[in-house]
Amino acid sequence: METNTILDIKGYTKSYGGGKKAADNVSLSVQAGDIYGFIGHNGAGKSTTIRAVVGVLDFTEGDIYIDGHSVKDEALACKNVTAYIPDNPDLYENLTGIQYLNFIADVFGIEEATRQEHIKKYGDMFEITEALGDLISSYSHGMKQKVAIISALIHEPKLMVLDEPFVGLDPKASFTLKQIMHEMCEQGAAVFFSTHVLDVAEKLCNKVAIIKQGKIIAAGTMEELTGDQSLEEVFLEVEDEK
Amino acid sequence: MRSKNLLLLRALLKSSSMWNIRKYSKDGKKRGRVLGGFFGFAMLYLMVVVYSFFGCFGLYALDSIEVVPVMAALTVSALAFVFTFIKTNGYLLNFKEYDMLMALPFRPKDVAACKFEYMYLKTLPWYLSLSLPMMVGYGYFGKTGWLMYPVWIMLGFFVPVIPMLAASLLGFLIAKASSGFKKKNMIQTLLTIVFVMLALSLRYIIEAIIRKNQVVNVTEQATAMMEQAGRYYAPAGWFAEAVQHSGRMEIGALSGALLLVGTTIVLFELVFLLVGKYYRQLNSALQSHAAKRNFRVASQKRNSVYNAIAFKEWKRLTASTTYFVNGAMGEILTAVLGIAVLIVGMDRVVAIVTQNAPIPKGILNPSIPLIVYFLIGLMTTTVCSPSLEGKNYWIVQSLPMTKKTLYQGKLLFQLYLSVPFTIFGIVCMSISAHVAVLDLVLYLLLGVVLCIFSASWGLVCGIKHMRLDWENEVEVVKQGAAVMIYMFPNMFITMGLIVLVVWLGTVVNPTMVTLALLAVASILAALSYAKVMRLVKE
Repeated sequence: METNTILDIKGYTKSYGGGKKAADNVSLSVQAGDIYGFIGHNGAGKSTTIRAVVGVLDFTEGDIYIDGHSVKDEALACKNVTAYIPDNPDLYENLTGIQYLNFIADVFGIEEATRQEHIKKYGDMFEITEALGDLISSYSHGMKQKVAIISALIHEPKLMVLDEPFVGLDPKASFTLKQIMHEMCEQGAAVFFSTHVLDVAEKLCNKVAIIKQGKIIAAGTMEELTGDQSLEEVFLEVEDEK
Repeated sequence: MRSKNLLLLRALLKSSSMWNIRKYSKDGKKRGRVLGGFFGFAMLYLMVVVYSFFGCFGLYALDSIEVVPVMAALTVSALAFVFTFIKTNGYLLNFKEYDMLMALPFRPKDVAACKFEYMYLKTLPWYLSLSLPMMVGYGYFGKTGWLMYPVWIMLGFFVPVIPMLAASLLGFLIAKASSGFKKKNMIQTLLTIVFVMLALSLRYIIEAIIRKNQVVNVTEQATAMMEQAGRYYAPAGWFAEAVQHSGRMEIGALSGALLLVGTTIVLFELVFLLVGKYYRQLNSALQSHAAKRNFRVASQKRNSVYNAIAFKEWKRLTASTTYFVNGAMGEILTAVLGIAVLIVGMDRVVAIVTQNAPIPKGILNPSIPLIVYFLIGLMTTTVCSPSLEGKNYWIVQSLPMTKKTLYQGKLLFQLYLSVPFTIFGIVCMSISAHVAVLDLVLYLLLGVVLCIFSASWGLVCGIKHMRLDWENEVEVVKQGAAVMIYMFPNMFITMGLIVLVVWLGTVVNPTMVTLALLAVASILAALSYAKVMRLVKE
């Protein structure tokens, strides 16, 4: 394995009862500095793959490595360097925003000064600092998404995995998130995220993979994949072909 | 690792803490509801404390004060087992924030153990409010030494753990067995119901075994049965041994205490070693849903708005094992009771339930509708269905229908559920008890009116204590203020009414008693429905 490979999915297969495969022999690798887009139709297997990457979902065959550690055998080592933001963040509604962030910071063992600095920095960037003293149950979907993003950034992960991260975010917060993704990658981390917004993927990602019925049907750098076409055109083309 | 677990446990407790809501919520109404909830729960705890202490006094009056420790341990253990078993799915498994927690650096074993500890701490006040008044009664009436108090208090924390572990493991095994099926939810619900029924009949099975000794005197029988039960369930025996020896300031207390504490710790580690091993695999299987993807649009049936809501409620009820087992258990028990009385006869069932008490034939007849209502009315879906809308509340709010229509639909569903079973139960019992036709008609009328009352009063409690921001449906299905406020008074009042009606039936014409009861129930049902209508306008 290359030393700068942050995420390496090797032959990942997830089968359900009756032999139906939600993910079939999926293989891809994300290097440090990559912003890797994962696209596909609804039900194609994006979330199933993402949930397996972050150690939430058990899987049938293959293995997934994060920073050289196997998700199957060294789950804790993987989780220590990963941050996950689900598409619909289910946070503890009866905690305040700050209580929730402190809980996450405590779990990752973040020093007080660092956590304060990060909460202040990202709270201000997402313009939610003033609301952090309120109960999460009083937040809008977008605000919950912002708290989930801040909680993901609080421990400076090497790999950030996001499932449809831009849903529910206001334009400014979307811009801020994209900015943060770039900053993270410049510092040697990697981002792996699913999206339906192909324009965003095209502008943001340097690599992309297209999944259909659980199988990767196209993957590579943005230039290799698109050539002089748009990502949307390529996506529709390969979806129709295979 | 342990400190991380404590962090998680603290977060779990805070996330469902009423105090946290009261402290940080800006919604005055919400804060008020929290205060109301505190008051309601304080009342319920007080009821349990009083009930428990007087139970102890009763045993003292029967000269059986020495059975109090074993009785306390058995009562707490039985409750802990049933409460935990019903809650395993939702608390330990298949919970809402599973993805968020499992993506954090916790071992699956630790997440499962923390969830168990959380469940334990949340129910501990109930067990203590049962156990501690018994301790006071035992100490005072039994004139024990001072050492009994610290020993009881310390071991009181351990008594519920072993039954909780057993229930968790059983719930886990049921989930594991059902996870392999396509209709896993249905299999899990069926298996859970079977085990709940078994747990409910266990008392009679144990009694049947113990009765082999044929003790004649009632007091001696109670004492002997408790002592033998303590032997059948060893941890209760260890607790009793430790408490009794410490009450006499004897060193023998140590062995019982050590056995209880040691076994609890060893079992805890063993259970979570096993659960942890399969935790992720099992949750993955439970959260996966088979998709056929072969649907073809054909002609669709049109329903009235009320029936559409009722159908939605039915799907909600059957979609969750926890909700189904709580919401429909009364109906299932009624069906079982109805079939049982038809097969073995009313007299035999009464003899089993009352332990062969000398009850004259036919004296219980006027209470038939109340006996059925005791089971059916124990829980009603309307008490938690407003809260169960949860985050989906926006759907019904944004639809072109009034709140009145929504709640009428919920009422209708509860009546669809309860009325057929009520009729079945009453008819079966009446056939077996050879009830006259006129009385049967009156019983059926009373049964239906009681169903309307139960559904309406449940809805009053459900709307008044509606809580949409729950983390886990168990919080509103089993532990919600609405459920508590509906269930306990309803249960105790129905039990009292059964006794009252049987007694009244011996002094006045039983048909007149039924008519009077019908009049009162009709007024209560009408008042409850009127209250629902007022609440939907607010």
